[in-house]
Amino acid sequence: MSRISSLPSESLDFRSRARALLGSEEAAAIRLGTDRFAALRRQAEGEYPPMEKMRARAGDIRRHTVAHLGHYVSRFVENLEAVGGVAHIASGAEEACAIIGGLVGARGSVVVKSKSMLTEEIDLNQRLEASGHRVVETDLGEFIVQLAGGSPSHLIAPAIHMNRAQIGRLFADRLQAPYTDDPIVLNEIARAYLREIFLAADVGISGANFGVAATGSIVTVTNEGNGRFITTAPRVHIAVLGIERLVPSFSEMAVLLEVLARSATGQRLSVYTNIVTGPRLPGEPDGPEELHVVLVDNGRSNLLGGVFEEALSCIRCGACLNVCPVYREVGGHGYGSVYSGPIGAVISPLLFGEDAFGELAYASTLCGACLEACPVGIDLPRMLIAQRRREALAGKIPGPAASLARRYSSLATRPSRFERLWRLARLATWPLARGGFISWLPGPGRAWTDHHVLRRPARRSFRRTQGDRQ
Amino acid sequence: MKLDELLTVLPVSVPGPSPGLLVPDLGHTDLVGLFAERLREVDGTDHGPMPLSAAGDIVLSIFAEAGVDRYLGWDDPGVPGIHDRLARAGIRRTEAWVPKEPASRMAHQSAYATVAGGLTGADFGLAESGSIVLRSGAGRARLASIVPLVHIAILPVRRLVRSLVHYAADHPAAPTGLSNLVVVTGPSRTGDIEQQLNLGVHGPRHLHVVLVN
Repeated sequence: MSRISSLPSESLDFRSRARALLGSEEAAAIRLGTDRFAALRRQAEGEYPPMEKMRARAGDIRRHTVAHLGHYVSRFVENLEAVGGVAHIASGAEEACAIIGGLVGARGSVVVKSKSMLTEEIDLNQRLEASGHRVVETDLGEFIVQLAGGSPSHLIAPAIHMNRAQIGRLFADRLQAPYTDDPIVLNEIARAYLREIFLAADVGISGANFGVAATGSIVTVTNEGNGRFITTAPRVHIAVLGIERLVPSFSEMAVLLEVLARSATGQRLSVYTNIVTGPRLPGEPDGPEELHVVLVDNGRSNLLGGVFEEALSCIRCGACLNVCPVYREVGGHGYGSVYSGPIGAVISPLLFGEDAFGELAYASTLCGACLEACPVGIDLPRMLIAQRRREALAGKIPGPAASLARRYSSLATRPSRFERLWRLARLATWPLARGGFISWLPGPGRAWTDHHVLRRPARRSFRRTQGDRQ
Repeated sequence: MKLDELLTVLPVSVPGPSPGLLVPDLGHTDLVGLFAERLREVDGTDHGPMPLSAAGDIVLSIFAEAGVDRYLGWDDPGVPGIHDRLARAGIRRTEAWVPKEPASRMAHQSAYATVAGGLTGADFGLAESGSIVLRSGAGRARLASIVPLVHIAILPVRRLVRSLVHYAADHPAAPTGLSNLVVVTGPSRTGDIEQQLNLGVHGPRHLHVVLVN
C-alpha cells in the first residue's frame, strides 16, 4: 500500500502533503495515468469535428440550468414522483446520511454502491457502517481502495495511485485469493466475489451523473457495468444527486453525454449510459421495487449568484485534473479534499471551508490548461484568482510576501529604476549563476530555489532590445 | 428538509426556452459500415447484415462456441422461434421473472450468477459510437444484458441512426414510459489496474451484435 493514501488528509497543509508525494511511487503512477487520459481526450476531440460547437452548447445548457436551478429542481421532483420515485431533500451531509441511513435501516443490511463522489463528500460509508450495515463499493478501483482502507485519488480512476503488485498483495490478504499480479486474474477474482453480492444485496446506492428534469430520470455512466447491476438487482435503489446536476431535457442530456466521455477518457460514449426512470413497472420482469432520490445541497446553493456560480456547471469529467501541472505532480491526495485538481481547488474552500482549504487557491500555476480542457468552458483560472483575492482580503497573505509584492509593484511602474536595479542584480548574481541559470540562493531566496531554477537577469533588458529594433 | 425550504435559497424564476439540442452535421456515410467499424474499436463483434432467416444459425454457433449452456433472454429478441431452436440444441433459457417478495427475489436472482449467455433485441443502433439502445419493458429482462459473459443482441439495420444526438432528436422523450433505457457501447471494461484494459469486469466480456435486414 502506498505510504501516502492512508494519511489523514486534514492533519497537514498542502505544502507538506505535496512534499511527501513528490517523487513517490504514487506520483509516478499518477503521471502515467494523467498523460494517458489527456492524450486520449485530444485524440477523441480530434476525430470528432463538431467538438467545439458541442462544448459550447454543453456549457450553455449547464449555465442555463444552474441559473434557473429552483425551477429545474421543482420540475425534477414533480416528474420523479409522477413515475413512482420518491424525492428526498438534504441540506447538508448530516441530513443526507440520516435520510439514507433511515431508508437502508428499514430495508436490509447489505448495501452495494457504485462510484459516487458525493457519497465520499458526505462520508456516507463510514456513517452506514457505524450503524451496522455492510457497504460494498463495486467499481473495481473503488473496491480496491475500500479494501485497502484508503481514499480515491482521481475522479475517474480512484486507484490510480496503486500498482498491480500492491493490489495482488491486498487481494491475497483480504480476499484469501492466491497471490498474483496479473491484472486479468485480479479482475476475475473481483468479478466472482462481487457478483454474488450484487445479486443478493438489499439496497443499491448510486451516484448520478445527471438528473433529467423533464422526465424525472436518473442517469449513471459507467464502464464496468456495476452501475447497472446495483440499480437493477437490489430491491431498493437509492440515488444520491447534487442539486446542481440537473439538465432540462433528455435531448440536452444527450449533448452533455457527447462531450462527457470524450473529455474524461477519450471514449465516444462510456460503455453503459444507464437511464433509470422510476422503479420497476407492472409487467417488467426485473428491476428495483423502490426508487429513492436524495437531492443534496451541502453548500452548493451558497455559490449561486456570485463569481463562483460557474463552478456549479462542472460535470466531473476530470479533464482539468489530467492537464494540471500541479495535479500531475502531487495527485489527488495532495489536495486533502474529496475534490482535487483545479475544480477541487475552487470548490473545496467554498463547500468545506476557507480555513481548511483556502490555501488550495495557490495549488495552481494559473497556466490556463484547465480552461482549455473543460468541456463546459468553466473559467477555472478566473475563479482561482478570485479565490486568491478572497484570501488576500481576509489578510491571509504572509507579511513578507505582501510587502514584496508592494515593492515590486512600485518598482515595475518606474522603468529606469527597474532597469538600474536589474543591472545590479545581474552583477550580484554573477558568483551564483551557472550557464545563465541560478539554482541556489542564500537566505529566504532558498524557498524558491529549492524547487525552481531562476534565470539570471539578461545582459540587455527586453525594453532595450526592443528599442534597438525600432 | 422540505423542497419548499430548499427553493427559498434557489433562483425560482421561470426560464425562457432552454438552449436545446444541437445536432451536428457529421456528413454522409454508410451507417452499417461505420457502426461495424466503431463496434470493433470498442471490442464488440459485428455479424451481418444478414436475412432474418440466417440469424438463428449465428446465435446458435456463438453460444455453442462459447460453451454457453444456459441463457437469460428477452421473450422476443427479434428472431422468430429462436428459443425453441436453442432448447433443441440443449441450450436452456433461464426464467427471467424476478419475484417481488424479498427472500425469494434474492434466491431467484442468485441463481443467475453463473448464467453465461444473454440474448436480447436492440431497439436502435448508434453508428458514430458503435452503440446499441435497449429499452426495458414486458418480456425484456434488464439482467439479460448485465449478468452474462456473452451477450448477443439482434439489431435490425433499419434501426441504425448516426449518433446519440441524432437519436435524441428523433426521440426527445425516449426515457418516458419505461423504467430503464440503456445505451451499451461495447463489452464491460475497466482500466482500474495500472490502466491496463480488462474486459468483462462486471458485465459481459463478449458483445455480439447481429445485424438483420
